[in-house]
Amino acid sequence: MRKENISRTLLLLGLGVLVVLLGSVFIGRYPEPYWLPPKLLGEDQLARQLVLNLRLPRLLTALLLGMILSAAGSILQMIFRNPLVEPGFLGVSQGAAFGAAVSILWLGSHPLTIELTATFFGLLGLGLSYLISTRIRYGGWVLRLVLSGVAVSALFSAGVGILKYIADPLTELPELTFWLLGGLYSVTWRDFLYVLPFALAGIFTVYAMRWRVNLLSLNDDTAFSLGASLTRERIILLTVTISATAALTAISGVIGWVGLIVPHISRRLFGASAEKSIPAAMLLGGAFTMIADDLARTLLPGEIPLGILTSAIGAILFIYLMINIGIKVRRDG
Amino acid sequence: MDKILSLENIHFRYYPDDPNVLSNLSLEIPAGKVTAILGPNGTGKTTLLHILLGLLKPLEGVVKVSGKSHKGYSRRELSQMIGLVPQFESIPFNFSVFEYVLLGRSPYLKPLQLPGSEDVRITEEALLAAGIDHLRNKPVNEISGGERQLVHISRVLTQQTQILLLDEPTAHLDLENQNRILSLLKQMSSLGNTAVLTTHDPNAAIFAADYFVLMNRGKIAAQGNLDTVITAENLSMIYRTPIRVEHTNGYTMVVMDKH
Repeated sequence: MRKENISRTLLLLGLGVLVVLLGSVFIGRYPEPYWLPPKLLGEDQLARQLVLNLRLPRLLTALLLGMILSAAGSILQMIFRNPLVEPGFLGVSQGAAFGAAVSILWLGSHPLTIELTATFFGLLGLGLSYLISTRIRYGGWVLRLVLSGVAVSALFSAGVGILKYIADPLTELPELTFWLLGGLYSVTWRDFLYVLPFALAGIFTVYAMRWRVNLLSLNDDTAFSLGASLTRERIILLTVTISATAALTAISGVIGWVGLIVPHISRRLFGASAEKSIPAAMLLGGAFTMIADDLARTLLPGEIPLGILTSAIGAILFIYLMINIGIKVRRDG
Repeated sequence: MDKILSLENIHFRYYPDDPNVLSNLSLEIPAGKVTAILGPNGTGKTTLLHILLGLLKPLEGVVKVSGKSHKGYSRRELSQMIGLVPQFESIPFNFSVFEYVLLGRSPYLKPLQLPGSEDVRITEEALLAAGIDHLRNKPVNEISGGERQLVHISRVLTQQTQILLLDEPTAHLDLENQNRILSLLKQMSSLGNTAVLTTHDPNAAIFAADYFVLMNRGKIAAQGNLDTVITAENLSMIYRTPIRVEHTNGYTMVVMDKH
Protein backbone atom coordinates (compact mmCIF):
# COMPACT_ATOMS: atom_id res chain seq x y z
CA MET A 1 0.00 0.00 0.00
CA ARG A 2 2.88 2.30 0.99
CA LYS A 3 4.66 1.60 -2.30
CA GLU A 4 1.58 1.99 -4.49
CA ASN A 5 0.96 5.35 -2.92
CA ILE A 6 4.48 6.54 -3.67
CA SER A 7 4.52 5.28 -7.24
CA ARG A 8 1.13 6.83 -7.99
CA THR A 9 2.26 10.26 -6.79
CA LEU A 10 5.47 10.06 -8.79
CA LEU A 11 3.64 8.86 -11.88
CA LEU A 12 1.25 11.81 -11.72
CA LEU A 13 4.14 14.23 -11.20
CA GLY A 14 5.99 12.66 -14.13
CA LEU A 15 2.95 13.19 -16.34
CA GLY A 16 2.83 16.80 -15.18
CA VAL A 17 6.47 17.28 -16.19
CA LEU A 18 5.71 15.79 -19.60
CA VAL A 19 2.80 18.20 -20.06
CA VAL A 20 5.04 21.16 -19.16
CA LEU A 21 7.70 19.89 -21.58
CA LEU A 22 5.27 19.46 -24.48
CA GLY A 23 3.52 22.76 -23.77
CA SER A 24 6.83 24.61 -23.54
CA VAL A 25 7.75 23.49 -27.06
CA PHE A 26 5.03 25.81 -28.36
CA ILE A 27 5.73 28.74 -26.03
CA GLY A 28 7.96 31.46 -27.41
CA ARG A 29 8.05 34.58 -29.53
CA TYR A 30 7.86 33.02 -32.99
CA PRO A 31 6.05 33.69 -35.21
CA GLU A 32 4.49 36.12 -32.73
CA PRO A 33 4.75 36.42 -28.96
CA TYR A 34 3.72 33.64 -26.61
CA TRP A 35 2.36 30.80 -28.73
CA LEU A 36 3.34 28.80 -31.77
CA PRO A 37 0.26 27.01 -33.16
CA PRO A 38 1.13 23.27 -33.45
CA LYS A 39 -0.22 23.04 -36.99
CA LEU A 40 2.46 25.51 -38.10
CA LEU A 41 5.05 22.75 -37.60
CA GLY A 42 3.76 21.00 -40.71
CA GLU A 43 3.72 24.17 -42.80
CA ASP A 44 6.60 26.37 -41.69
CA GLN A 45 10.13 25.13 -42.30
CA LEU A 46 11.61 27.75 -39.95
CA ALA A 47 9.20 26.83 -37.12
CA ARG A 48 10.22 23.20 -37.46
CA GLN A 49 13.92 24.13 -37.38
CA LEU A 50 13.34 26.37 -34.38
CA VAL A 51 11.55 23.69 -32.39
CA LEU A 52 13.89 20.86 -33.28
CA ASN A 53 17.25 22.60 -33.08
CA LEU A 54 16.73 25.40 -30.56
CA ARG A 55 13.76 24.82 -28.30
CA LEU A 56 14.00 21.07 -27.76
CA PRO A 57 17.67 20.90 -26.68
CA ARG A 58 17.14 23.98 -24.56
CA LEU A 59 14.03 22.57 -22.86
CA LEU A 60 15.61 19.20 -22.24
CA THR A 61 18.66 20.91 -20.76
CA ALA A 62 16.38 23.03 -18.54
CA LEU A 63 14.70 19.81 -17.43
CA LEU A 64 18.04 18.18 -16.54
CA LEU A 65 19.26 21.37 -14.88
CA GLY A 66 16.20 21.58 -12.65
CA MET A 67 16.34 17.89 -11.80
CA ILE A 68 20.03 18.00 -10.94
CA LEU A 69 19.93 21.24 -8.94
CA SER A 70 17.00 19.87 -6.92
CA ALA A 71 18.62 16.47 -6.47
CA ALA A 72 21.90 18.07 -5.40
CA GLY A 73 20.06 20.47 -3.07
CA SER A 74 18.09 17.63 -1.46
CA ILE A 75 21.18 15.46 -1.08
CA LEU A 76 23.29 18.28 0.39
CA GLN A 77 20.50 19.22 2.80
CA MET A 78 20.20 15.62 3.97
CA ILE A 79 23.94 15.00 4.25
CA PHE A 80 24.65 18.31 5.98
CA ARG A 81 21.56 17.90 8.14
CA ASN A 82 20.65 21.46 7.32
CA PRO A 83 17.57 22.52 5.34
CA LEU A 84 19.21 25.79 4.30
CA VAL A 85 22.01 24.36 2.18
CA GLU A 86 22.15 24.39 -1.61
CA PRO A 87 24.63 23.42 -4.35
CA GLY A 88 26.18 26.91 -4.26
CA PHE A 89 27.71 25.59 -1.12
CA LEU A 90 31.12 23.94 -0.89
CA GLY A 91 32.75 26.16 -3.47
CA VAL A 92 31.17 24.39 -6.42
CA SER A 93 29.22 27.20 -8.10
CA GLN A 94 31.85 29.84 -7.41
CA GLY A 95 34.58 27.46 -8.57
CA ALA A 96 32.70 26.77 -11.79
CA ALA A 97 32.14 30.51 -12.30
CA PHE A 98 35.84 31.16 -11.82
CA GLY A 99 36.68 28.39 -14.29
CA ALA A 100 34.33 29.84 -16.89
CA ALA A 101 35.85 33.30 -16.40
CA VAL A 102 39.37 31.93 -16.83
CA SER A 103 38.27 30.22 -20.01
CA ILE A 104 36.51 33.30 -21.45
CA LEU A 105 39.55 35.47 -20.74
CA TRP A 106 42.45 33.25 -21.69
CA LEU A 107 41.44 29.92 -23.17
CA GLY A 108 38.92 31.20 -25.65
CA SER A 109 35.15 31.14 -25.34
CA HIS A 110 34.58 27.94 -27.24
CA PRO A 111 31.66 26.32 -25.37
CA LEU A 112 33.46 23.05 -24.82
CA THR A 113 36.48 24.83 -23.33
CA ILE A 114 34.23 26.80 -20.97
CA GLU A 115 32.40 23.62 -19.98
CA LEU A 116 35.52 21.64 -19.24
CA THR A 117 37.26 24.44 -17.33
CA ALA A 118 34.12 25.22 -15.33
CA THR A 119 33.60 21.56 -14.45
CA PHE A 120 37.24 21.24 -13.48
CA PHE A 121 37.19 24.28 -11.19
CA GLY A 122 33.79 23.31 -9.74
CA LEU A 123 35.21 19.96 -8.69
CA LEU A 124 38.40 21.67 -7.54
CA GLY A 125 36.24 23.87 -5.29
CA LEU A 126 34.68 20.76 -3.76
CA GLY A 127 38.07 19.07 -3.38
CA LEU A 128 39.62 22.12 -1.71
CA SER A 129 36.66 22.49 0.66
CA TYR A 130 37.01 18.85 1.60
CA LEU A 131 40.80 18.95 2.04
CA ILE A 132 40.70 22.06 4.20
CA SER A 133 37.90 20.58 6.31
CA THR A 134 40.04 17.56 7.16
CA ARG A 135 42.71 19.89 8.53
CA ILE A 136 40.38 21.80 10.86
CA ARG A 137 40.68 20.39 14.36
CA TYR A 138 37.45 21.48 15.98
CA GLY A 139 33.75 21.02 15.33
CA GLY A 140 31.85 18.16 13.75
CA TRP A 141 32.09 17.03 10.16
CA VAL A 142 29.29 19.33 9.02
CA LEU A 143 30.61 22.49 10.65
CA ARG A 144 34.12 21.91 9.29
CA LEU A 145 32.89 21.45 5.71
CA VAL A 146 30.58 24.45 5.96
CA LEU A 147 33.40 26.66 7.20
CA SER A 148 35.86 25.58 4.55
CA GLY A 149 33.13 25.75 1.85
CA VAL A 150 32.41 29.36 2.79
CA ALA A 151 36.11 30.24 2.67
CA VAL A 152 36.74 28.50 -0.66
CA SER A 153 33.65 30.13 -2.22
CA ALA A 154 34.85 33.53 -1.06
CA LEU A 155 38.30 32.93 -2.57
CA PHE A 156 36.84 31.93 -5.92
CA SER A 157 34.40 34.80 -5.94
CA ALA A 158 37.25 37.22 -5.21
CA GLY A 159 39.02 35.59 -8.16
CA VAL A 160 35.97 36.18 -10.36
CA GLY A 161 35.97 39.81 -9.22
CA ILE A 162 39.60 40.26 -10.24
CA LEU A 163 38.98 38.65 -13.63
CA LYS A 164 35.97 40.92 -14.24
CA TYR A 165 38.14 43.89 -13.35
CA ILE A 166 40.84 42.99 -15.84
CA ALA A 167 38.47 41.75 -18.58
CA ASP A 168 38.22 43.80 -21.77
CA PRO A 169 35.01 45.83 -21.23
CA LEU A 170 34.09 45.72 -24.91
CA THR A 171 34.65 42.08 -25.80
CA GLU A 172 35.12 39.85 -22.78
CA LEU A 173 33.19 41.54 -19.98
CA PRO A 174 29.69 41.32 -21.55
CA GLU A 175 30.08 37.63 -22.27
CA LEU A 176 31.43 36.97 -18.79
CA THR A 177 28.66 38.97 -17.13
CA PHE A 178 25.91 37.24 -19.08
CA TRP A 179 27.39 33.86 -18.28
CA LEU A 180 27.53 34.74 -14.59
CA LEU A 181 23.89 35.85 -14.61
CA GLY A 182 22.96 32.43 -15.93
CA GLY A 183 20.91 31.37 -18.91
CA LEU A 184 20.27 28.68 -21.47
CA TYR A 185 20.08 31.00 -24.48
CA SER A 186 22.86 29.35 -26.46
CA VAL A 187 22.24 25.68 -25.66
CA THR A 188 22.63 23.29 -28.58
CA TRP A 189 22.19 19.53 -28.97
CA ARG A 190 25.95 19.24 -28.49
CA ASP A 191 25.75 20.94 -25.08
CA PHE A 192 22.85 18.72 -24.13
CA LEU A 193 24.77 15.58 -25.08
CA TYR A 194 27.78 16.83 -23.12
CA VAL A 195 25.82 17.12 -19.85
CA LEU A 196 23.57 14.10 -20.41
CA PRO A 197 25.93 11.42 -19.01
CA PHE A 198 26.73 13.48 -15.89
CA ALA A 199 23.06 14.25 -15.36
CA LEU A 200 21.88 10.67 -15.87
CA ALA A 201 24.56 9.35 -13.51
CA GLY A 202 23.39 11.84 -10.87
CA ILE A 203 19.70 11.20 -11.35
CA PHE A 204 19.97 7.41 -11.34
CA THR A 205 22.34 7.20 -8.36
CA VAL A 206 20.20 9.53 -6.27
CA TYR A 207 17.03 7.71 -7.31
CA ALA A 208 18.54 4.32 -6.52
CA MET A 209 19.71 5.45 -3.07
CA ARG A 210 16.53 7.40 -2.28
CA TRP A 211 15.58 5.44 0.85
CA ARG A 212 19.11 5.02 2.13
CA VAL A 213 19.76 8.78 2.01
CA ASN A 214 17.46 9.11 5.03
CA LEU A 215 20.08 7.36 7.16
CA LEU A 216 22.65 10.01 6.32
CA SER A 217 20.46 12.73 7.82
CA LEU A 218 20.59 11.07 11.24
CA ASN A 219 23.32 11.61 13.84
CA ASP A 220 26.62 10.00 12.90
CA ASP A 221 26.41 7.49 15.76
CA THR A 222 22.83 6.47 14.91
CA ALA A 223 23.56 6.16 11.20
CA PHE A 224 26.66 4.09 12.00
CA SER A 225 24.70 1.80 14.33
CA LEU A 226 22.23 1.22 11.48
CA GLY A 227 25.01 -0.09 9.26
CA ALA A 228 25.58 2.97 7.06
CA SER A 229 29.11 3.29 5.67
CA LEU A 230 29.03 7.02 6.24
CA THR A 231 32.17 8.17 4.46
CA ARG A 232 31.68 5.98 1.42
CA GLU A 233 28.00 6.77 0.95
CA ARG A 234 28.55 10.50 1.43
CA ILE A 235 31.40 10.53 -1.06
CA ILE A 236 29.41 8.62 -3.69
CA LEU A 237 26.40 10.93 -3.39
CA LEU A 238 28.44 14.14 -3.22
CA THR A 239 30.57 13.16 -6.21
CA VAL A 240 27.70 12.30 -8.54
CA THR A 241 25.53 15.27 -7.63
CA ILE A 242 28.32 17.82 -7.53
CA SER A 243 29.92 16.73 -10.80
CA ALA A 244 26.51 16.84 -12.48
CA THR A 245 25.92 20.31 -11.00
CA ALA A 246 29.32 21.50 -12.19
CA ALA A 247 28.75 20.13 -15.71
CA LEU A 248 25.34 21.81 -15.97
CA THR A 249 26.58 25.05 -14.41
CA ALA A 250 29.22 25.10 -17.11
CA ILE A 251 26.56 25.54 -19.81
CA SER A 252 23.89 27.38 -17.84
CA GLY A 253 25.93 29.76 -15.70
CA VAL A 254 25.07 30.22 -12.05
CA ILE A 255 21.40 29.37 -11.47
CA GLY A 256 20.51 30.08 -7.85
CA TRP A 257 17.68 29.14 -5.52
CA VAL A 258 16.28 26.13 -7.40
CA GLY A 259 18.33 23.74 -5.26
CA LEU A 260 17.22 25.47 -2.09
CA ILE A 261 13.53 26.08 -2.62
CA VAL A 262 12.41 23.01 -4.59
CA PRO A 263 13.49 20.43 -1.97
CA HIS A 264 11.62 22.52 0.62
CA ILE A 265 8.43 22.53 -1.39
CA SER A 266 8.78 18.82 -2.08
CA ARG A 267 9.13 17.99 1.62
CA ARG A 268 6.10 20.20 2.38
CA LEU A 269 4.00 18.38 -0.19
CA PHE A 270 5.25 14.82 0.10
CA GLY A 271 6.73 14.45 3.59
CA ALA A 272 10.27 14.37 4.89
CA SER A 273 11.23 10.84 3.87
CA ALA A 274 13.66 11.07 0.97
CA GLU A 275 12.16 7.95 -0.58
CA LYS A 276 9.33 10.10 -1.90
CA SER A 277 10.53 13.68 -1.47
CA ILE A 278 13.75 13.35 -3.51
CA PRO A 279 12.26 11.84 -6.69
CA ALA A 280 9.40 14.32 -6.35
CA ALA A 281 11.87 17.19 -5.90
CA MET A 282 13.68 16.17 -9.11
CA LEU A 283 10.41 16.22 -11.07
CA LEU A 284 9.22 19.48 -9.51
CA GLY A 285 12.64 21.05 -10.12
CA GLY A 286 12.57 19.99 -13.78
CA ALA A 287 9.13 21.53 -14.27
CA PHE A 288 10.05 24.67 -12.29
CA THR A 289 13.17 25.31 -14.36
CA MET A 290 11.40 24.69 -17.69
CA ILE A 291 8.65 27.14 -16.71
CA ALA A 292 11.20 29.72 -15.53
CA ASP A 293 13.05 29.32 -18.82
CA ASP A 294 9.77 29.73 -20.77
CA LEU A 295 9.35 33.05 -18.99
CA ALA A 296 12.98 33.97 -19.59
CA ARG A 297 12.69 33.68 -23.34
CA THR A 298 9.09 34.86 -23.76
CA LEU A 299 8.31 37.75 -21.41
CA LEU A 300 10.44 40.41 -23.09
CA PRO A 301 11.62 40.82 -26.68
CA GLY A 302 15.15 40.27 -25.37
CA GLU A 303 16.22 37.33 -23.22
CA ILE A 304 15.95 37.69 -19.42
CA PRO A 305 18.85 35.82 -17.77
CA LEU A 306 17.41 32.64 -16.25
CA GLY A 307 19.44 33.04 -13.03
CA ILE A 308 17.71 36.36 -12.33
CA LEU A 309 14.27 34.80 -12.80
CA THR A 310 14.92 31.71 -10.66
CA SER A 311 16.37 33.91 -7.91
CA ALA A 312 13.40 36.26 -8.01
CA ILE A 313 10.74 33.52 -8.08
CA GLY A 314 12.68 31.39 -5.58
CA ALA A 315 13.17 34.21 -3.10
CA ILE A 316 9.49 35.22 -3.28
CA LEU A 317 8.39 31.62 -2.71
CA PHE A 318 10.86 31.34 0.14
CA ILE A 319 9.53 34.46 1.85
CA TYR A 320 5.98 33.19 1.36
CA LEU A 321 6.85 29.80 2.88
CA MET A 322 8.63 31.39 5.84
CA ILE A 323 5.83 33.78 6.68
CA ASN A 324 2.81 31.63 5.95
CA ILE A 325 3.87 28.13 6.78
CA GLY A 326 7.06 28.54 8.73
CA ILE A 327 10.22 26.75 7.74
CA LYS A 328 11.27 24.71 10.69
CA VAL A 329 14.97 24.67 11.36
CA ARG A 330 16.00 22.53 14.26
CA ARG A 331 19.45 23.00 15.62
CA ASP A 332 19.25 21.18 18.90
CA GLY A 333 22.03 18.63 18.71
CA MET B 1 27.54 -15.97 33.68
CA ASP B 2 27.68 -15.65 29.87
CA LYS B 3 29.66 -12.70 28.59
CA ILE B 4 28.29 -11.23 25.41
CA LEU B 5 30.45 -8.10 25.25
CA SER B 6 33.89 -7.62 26.66
CA LEU B 7 36.53 -4.92 26.66
CA GLU B 8 40.14 -5.86 27.35
CA ASN B 9 42.71 -3.22 28.35
CA ILE B 10 41.16 -0.42 26.36
CA HIS B 11 43.03 2.86 25.94
CA PHE B 12 41.40 5.70 24.04
CA ARG B 13 41.93 9.38 23.32
CA TYR B 14 40.33 11.63 20.69
CA TYR B 15 43.48 13.43 19.49
CA PRO B 16 47.09 12.19 19.63
CA ASP B 17 48.33 14.86 22.06
CA ASP B 18 45.23 14.83 24.31
CA PRO B 19 45.18 12.93 27.60
CA ASN B 20 43.48 9.53 27.61
CA VAL B 21 39.69 9.50 27.95
CA LEU B 22 39.76 5.81 28.81
CA SER B 23 42.81 4.13 30.36
CA ASN B 24 43.43 0.43 30.70
CA LEU B 25 39.74 -0.30 30.93
CA SER B 26 38.50 -3.88 31.12
CA LEU B 27 34.86 -4.79 31.37
CA GLU B 28 32.54 -7.73 30.87
CA ILE B 29 28.85 -7.39 30.09
CA PRO B 30 26.60 -10.32 31.03
CA ALA B 31 24.24 -11.67 28.36
CA GLY B 32 20.48 -11.34 28.78
CA LYS B 33 20.72 -8.77 31.57
CA VAL B 34 20.43 -5.03 32.01
CA THR B 35 23.81 -3.49 32.78
CA ALA B 36 24.03 0.08 34.06
CA ILE B 37 27.19 2.09 33.53
CA LEU B 38 27.10 4.68 36.25
CA GLY B 39 29.29 7.68 36.79
CA PRO B 40 29.47 11.44 36.94
CA ASN B 41 29.14 13.64 33.82
CA GLY B 42 32.19 13.69 31.59
CA THR B 43 33.72 10.48 32.83
CA GLY B 44 33.80 8.71 29.46
CA LYS B 45 30.49 6.80 29.50
CA THR B 46 29.44 7.87 26.00
CA THR B 47 32.94 7.20 24.68
CA LEU B 48 32.70 3.73 26.16
CA LEU B 49 29.37 3.07 24.41
CA HIS B 50 30.80 4.32 21.11
CA ILE B 51 33.70 1.89 21.51
CA LEU B 52 31.31 -1.00 22.27
CA LEU B 53 29.39 -0.01 19.11
CA GLY B 54 32.54 0.08 16.98
CA LEU B 55 32.13 3.75 16.02
CA LEU B 56 35.35 4.62 17.84
CA LYS B 57 38.40 2.40 17.53
CA PRO B 58 40.45 1.98 20.70
CA LEU B 59 44.09 3.00 20.61
CA GLU B 60 44.98 -0.25 22.34
CA GLY B 61 42.95 -3.20 23.53
CA VAL B 62 40.30 -5.52 22.13
CA VAL B 63 36.52 -5.31 21.95
CA LYS B 64 34.84 -8.69 21.70
CA VAL B 65 31.26 -9.57 20.80
CA SER B 66 30.26 -13.16 21.66
CA GLY B 67 33.92 -13.97 22.19
CA LYS B 68 35.04 -12.73 18.78
CA SER B 69 36.86 -9.44 18.10
CA HIS B 70 34.92 -6.58 16.47
CA LYS B 71 37.33 -6.81 13.57
CA GLY B 72 36.02 -10.29 12.76
CA TYR B 73 32.61 -8.88 11.84
CA SER B 74 31.50 -6.83 8.85
CA ARG B 75 29.71 -3.50 9.43
CA ARG B 76 26.49 -5.14 8.38
CA GLU B 77 26.90 -8.07 10.77
CA LEU B 78 27.65 -5.72 13.67
CA SER B 79 24.63 -3.56 12.91
CA GLN B 80 22.47 -6.69 13.06
CA MET B 81 23.86 -7.45 16.55
CA ILE B 82 24.24 -4.09 18.30
CA GLY B 83 21.72 -1.24 18.32
CA LEU B 84 22.13 2.25 19.77
CA VAL B 85 19.86 4.86 21.29
CA PRO B 86 22.10 7.93 21.49
CA GLN B 87 21.84 10.60 24.13
CA PHE B 88 21.01 13.37 21.70
CA GLU B 89 19.36 12.61 18.44
CA SER B 90 18.48 15.70 16.50
CA ILE B 91 16.35 14.89 13.47
CA PRO B 92 16.56 17.89 11.16
CA PHE B 93 13.83 16.67 8.83
CA ASN B 94 10.37 16.03 10.13
CA PHE B 95 9.95 12.32 9.39
CA SER B 96 6.75 10.70 10.55
CA VAL B 97 7.20 8.35 13.51
CA PHE B 98 6.57 5.41 11.20
CA GLU B 99 9.12 6.52 8.56
CA TYR B 100 11.73 7.08 11.25
CA VAL B 101 11.18 3.75 13.03
CA LEU B 102 11.27 1.93 9.68
CA LEU B 103 14.90 3.12 9.26
CA GLY B 104 15.80 0.53 11.91
CA ARG B 105 15.41 -2.11 9.21
CA SER B 106 18.36 -0.86 7.19
CA PRO B 107 20.89 -3.43 8.50
CA TYR B 108 18.82 -6.10 6.76
CA LEU B 109 18.47 -4.29 3.43
CA LYS B 110 20.98 -4.22 0.60
CA PRO B 111 22.31 -0.74 -0.21
CA LEU B 112 19.78 -0.08 -2.98
CA GLN B 113 16.93 -2.16 -1.58
CA LEU B 114 13.69 -0.56 -0.38
CA PRO B 115 11.89 -1.82 2.73
CA GLY B 116 9.24 -4.44 1.95
CA SER B 117 6.04 -5.69 3.57
CA GLU B 118 7.96 -7.78 6.12
CA ASP B 119 9.88 -4.67 7.23
CA VAL B 120 6.60 -2.77 7.53
CA ARG B 121 5.15 -5.57 9.66
CA ILE B 122 8.17 -5.61 12.00
CA THR B 123 7.98 -1.83 12.32
CA GLU B 124 4.30 -2.01 13.23
CA GLU B 125 5.06 -4.64 15.88
CA ALA B 126 7.80 -2.47 17.38
CA LEU B 127 5.43 0.50 17.62
CA LEU B 128 2.91 -1.70 19.40
CA ALA B 129 5.54 -3.13 21.75
CA ALA B 130 6.58 0.37 22.80
CA GLY B 131 2.93 1.41 23.12
CA ILE B 132 3.18 4.23 20.59
CA ASP B 133 1.17 2.79 17.71
CA HIS B 134 -1.21 5.76 17.92
CA LEU B 135 1.68 8.13 17.08
CA ARG B 136 2.66 6.45 13.82
CA ASN B 137 1.69 9.33 11.53
CA LYS B 138 2.82 12.14 13.85
CA PRO B 139 5.94 14.11 12.89
CA VAL B 140 8.86 13.06 15.14
CA ASN B 141 9.66 16.64 16.04
CA GLU B 142 6.16 17.37 17.29
CA ILE B 143 5.84 14.81 20.08
CA SER B 144 6.86 14.99 23.75
CA GLY B 145 10.32 14.07 25.04
CA GLY B 146 9.08 10.84 26.64
CA GLU B 147 7.27 9.79 23.46
CA ARG B 148 10.36 10.60 21.47
CA GLN B 149 12.53 8.35 23.60
CA LEU B 150 9.98 5.55 23.02
CA VAL B 151 10.25 6.25 19.29
CA HIS B 152 14.04 5.83 19.44
CA ILE B 153 13.61 2.57 21.33
CA SER B 154 11.08 1.35 18.75
CA ARG B 155 13.64 2.04 16.07
CA VAL B 156 16.15 -0.16 17.90
CA LEU B 157 13.46 -2.82 18.31
CA THR B 158 12.94 -3.00 14.54
CA GLN B 159 16.69 -3.48 14.26
CA GLN B 160 16.19 -6.79 16.11
CA THR B 161 19.60 -6.75 17.73
CA GLN B 162 20.59 -9.00 20.60
CA ILE B 163 22.44 -6.10 22.23
CA LEU B 164 21.00 -2.63 22.94
CA LEU B 165 23.19 0.29 23.95
CA LEU B 166 21.32 3.24 25.48
CA ASP B 167 23.05 6.49 26.31
CA GLU B 168 21.32 8.26 29.22
CA PRO B 169 17.88 6.96 28.14
CA THR B 170 16.08 8.57 31.09
CA ALA B 171 17.83 11.92 31.31
CA HIS B 172 15.34 14.82 30.95
CA LEU B 173 12.34 12.52 31.46
CA ASP B 174 9.72 12.81 34.21
CA LEU B 175 9.15 9.92 36.58
CA GLU B 176 6.27 8.40 34.64
CA ASN B 177 8.30 8.32 31.43
CA GLN B 178 11.41 7.05 33.24
CA ASN B 179 9.27 4.20 34.53
CA ARG B 180 7.92 3.44 31.04
CA ILE B 181 11.38 3.35 29.44
CA LEU B 182 13.10 1.37 32.18
CA SER B 183 10.23 -1.13 32.47
CA LEU B 184 10.37 -1.66 28.73
CA LEU B 185 14.11 -2.40 29.03
CA LYS B 186 13.53 -4.89 31.83
CA GLN B 187 10.83 -6.57 29.78
CA MET B 188 13.20 -6.84 26.82
CA SER B 189 15.96 -8.36 28.92
CA SER B 190 13.46 -10.92 30.23
CA LEU B 191 12.97 -11.89 26.58
CA GLY B 192 16.70 -12.53 26.27
CA ASN B 193 18.07 -9.18 25.08
CA THR B 194 21.15 -7.62 26.58
CA ALA B 195 20.82 -3.94 27.44
CA VAL B 196 23.65 -1.60 28.40
CA LEU B 197 22.58 1.81 29.60
CA THR B 198 24.59 4.73 30.86
CA THR B 199 23.21 7.02 33.48
CA HIS B 200 24.40 9.55 36.02
CA ASP B 201 21.36 8.77 38.19
CA PRO B 202 22.02 5.86 40.62
CA ASN B 203 18.31 5.40 41.36
CA ALA B 204 17.43 4.89 37.70
CA ALA B 205 20.23 2.31 37.53
CA ILE B 206 18.97 0.51 40.64
CA PHE B 207 15.42 0.43 39.23
CA ALA B 208 16.39 -1.22 35.96
CA ALA B 209 19.74 -2.97 36.17
CA ASP B 210 20.96 -6.42 37.21
CA TYR B 211 24.63 -5.59 36.84
CA PHE B 212 26.43 -2.38 37.75
CA VAL B 213 29.59 -0.73 36.49
CA LEU B 214 30.92 2.36 38.24
CA MET B 215 33.11 4.63 36.15
CA ASN B 216 35.36 7.36 37.38
CA ARG B 217 37.72 9.47 35.30
CA GLY B 218 38.00 7.00 32.43
CA LYS B 219 38.52 3.98 34.65
CA ILE B 220 36.31 1.30 36.14
CA ALA B 221 35.91 1.98 39.88
CA ALA B 222 33.81 -1.11 40.59
CA GLN B 223 31.68 -3.70 38.81
CA GLY B 224 29.34 -6.39 40.04
CA ASN B 225 25.86 -6.78 41.56
CA LEU B 226 23.85 -4.19 43.46
CA ASP B 227 25.15 -4.88 46.97
CA THR B 228 28.82 -4.86 46.10
CA VAL B 229 28.81 -1.80 43.81
CA ILE B 230 26.11 0.54 45.10
CA THR B 231 27.66 1.44 48.45
CA ALA B 232 27.84 4.80 50.17
CA GLU B 233 31.59 4.66 50.06
CA ASN B 234 31.84 3.98 46.30
CA LEU B 235 29.23 6.57 45.34
CA SER B 236 30.54 9.28 47.67
CA MET B 237 33.96 8.79 46.15
CA ILE B 238 33.02 8.99 42.46
CA TYR B 239 30.41 11.75 42.81
CA ARG B 240 32.68 13.67 45.21
CA THR B 241 29.76 14.46 47.48
CA PRO B 242 28.46 12.74 50.65
CA ILE B 243 25.93 10.08 49.65
CA ARG B 244 23.84 7.65 51.73
CA VAL B 245 22.45 4.31 50.55
CA GLU B 246 19.13 3.43 52.25
CA HIS B 247 17.46 0.04 52.32
CA THR B 248 13.71 0.17 52.90
CA ASN B 249 11.35 -2.78 52.45
CA GLY B 250 13.98 -4.63 50.47
CA TYR B 251 14.44 -1.69 48.07
CA THR B 252 17.70 0.23 47.77
CA MET B 253 17.68 3.99 47.39
CA VAL B 254 20.46 6.50 46.99
CA VAL B 255 20.13 9.93 48.59
CA MET B 256 22.42 12.92 48.98
CA ASP B 257 23.51 13.30 52.56
CA LYS B 258 22.56 16.54 54.28
CA HIS B 259 25.14 17.75 56.75
